[in-house]
Amino acid sequence: MNEQALITDAQGGNLDAFNTLVLHYQDSVFNTALRILGDEDQAADASQDAFISAFKSITSFRGGSFKAWLMRTVTNACYDELRRKKRRPTTPLEPDTDDGEEMDSPRWLADPNMTPEQKSEAVEVEHAIQHCLDNLPLEFKTVVVMADIQDMDYTEVAAAVHVPLGTIKSRLARARLRLRECLQGFEELLPASYRLEGGNTA
Amino acid sequence: MNQRDLELLSAYLDGQLTPFDSTRLETRLTTEPQLASVLNDLSAIRSLLRKLPQRRAPRNFTLTRKMVGQNPPLPRAYPIFRFATALATLLFVFSFGLNSVGRLAAPAYGVGGSGGGDASQEEIQSFAAEVPMAPTEAPAATEAPVAEPAVELAPASTLAPTEVSNAARSVETPASKAGDAADALGQQNQVEVQSEALRPALVPSAWQIVLAIVAILCALLMFMMRRIAISRWR
Repeated sequence: MNEQALITDAQGGNLDAFNTLVLHYQDSVFNTALRILGDEDQAADASQDAFISAFKSITSFRGGSFKAWLMRTVTNACYDELRRKKRRPTTPLEPDTDDGEEMDSPRWLADPNMTPEQKSEAVEVEHAIQHCLDNLPLEFKTVVVMADIQDMDYTEVAAAVHVPLGTIKSRLARARLRLRECLQGFEELLPASYRLEGGNTA
Repeated sequence: MNQRDLELLSAYLDGQLTPFDSTRLETRLTTEPQLASVLNDLSAIRSLLRKLPQRRAPRNFTLTRKMVGQNPPLPRAYPIFRFATALATLLFVFSFGLNSVGRLAAPAYGVGGSGGGDASQEEIQSFAAEVPMAPTEAPAATEAPVAEPAVELAPASTLAPTEVSNAARSVETPASKAGDAADALGQQNQVEVQSEALRPALVPSAWQIVLAIVAILCALLMFMMRRIAISRWR
């Protein structure tokens, strides 16, 4: 795939060229939205909005990393989705405990129809991580999703988030620290190789 | 461990430190187990995040032309037809307005009665004053009425007072000449006023029909052009 040629064609209004780029990046865009929003339906909506917005403003792309530019678009779409969610809050699916308190464990997300084997470490770890990601401030979450989940380098993340490189380093370090603190609460779920040592960071 | 050390460890993990900073940190890591422990945790977290399963998009997010509001490339003549449709429609509506205003104004002049009457009286008087100025026709016109009233004078007593006065007045030759002329003029004026009320519209209906046909034809052509363009585009 000649990305630059496709971008140039898309800038000329060629929708087919843009759709080729969509097919190439849609999984990354969807996963980024999913990790930021924590909800598949909302992530799908945000991804679609992001691609529409990207096509409409593709003439503003002046080179550099197209993935970073696209991630910026999807991040903005996620922020819009979160704002919408804030204006029209929905009832959480989390069941209450016998004491009437919301269950904090991500175990509730597991499909009750799954076999015990399917309720594997991977699923639980994923849910635990998503739970911890959801508790991060948005600006931290965005950076950690891009750098650690999407494997983007610092320069790309800085371009996508439009903040200086130093801020990216700082946010990423703090985000990782918070995740560490959060995941220590789910230690029993983590595979042995990922067990945290829980050193004092004070 | 402070914030600075945390940032150093995080950047070291991602290979973002300069060689000098890396060497310094590595030295510290050998002597500070707590720092090494945090580095291990950060590394584990990064690995966990990187091992998160990448979900496939639940559907294709490819865009349709409708989604992005893209319009099909229309023929070059399309704007001309659009302009012609708009202009013909405007003129058509304007012609209706113009005719309505014309028709509203005409009855106000004709039916107004007293106003119209006054105006015609003035005209009558001015015309009456002009009558003697045309001596060749005036005598011929006045001769006949002089004879007729003489014949009709006998039953004058049975006539209504107005008719009597009319008859009497017609007898008076100089005055009756002017009076008859005035009556004739008054009638003529009324006919003019009525004809004014019934006069044809300012914009002939033929023109309106032409405008309507032009507007409809152009609109139909535009519609067809668009349909063809869309079908070709798809």
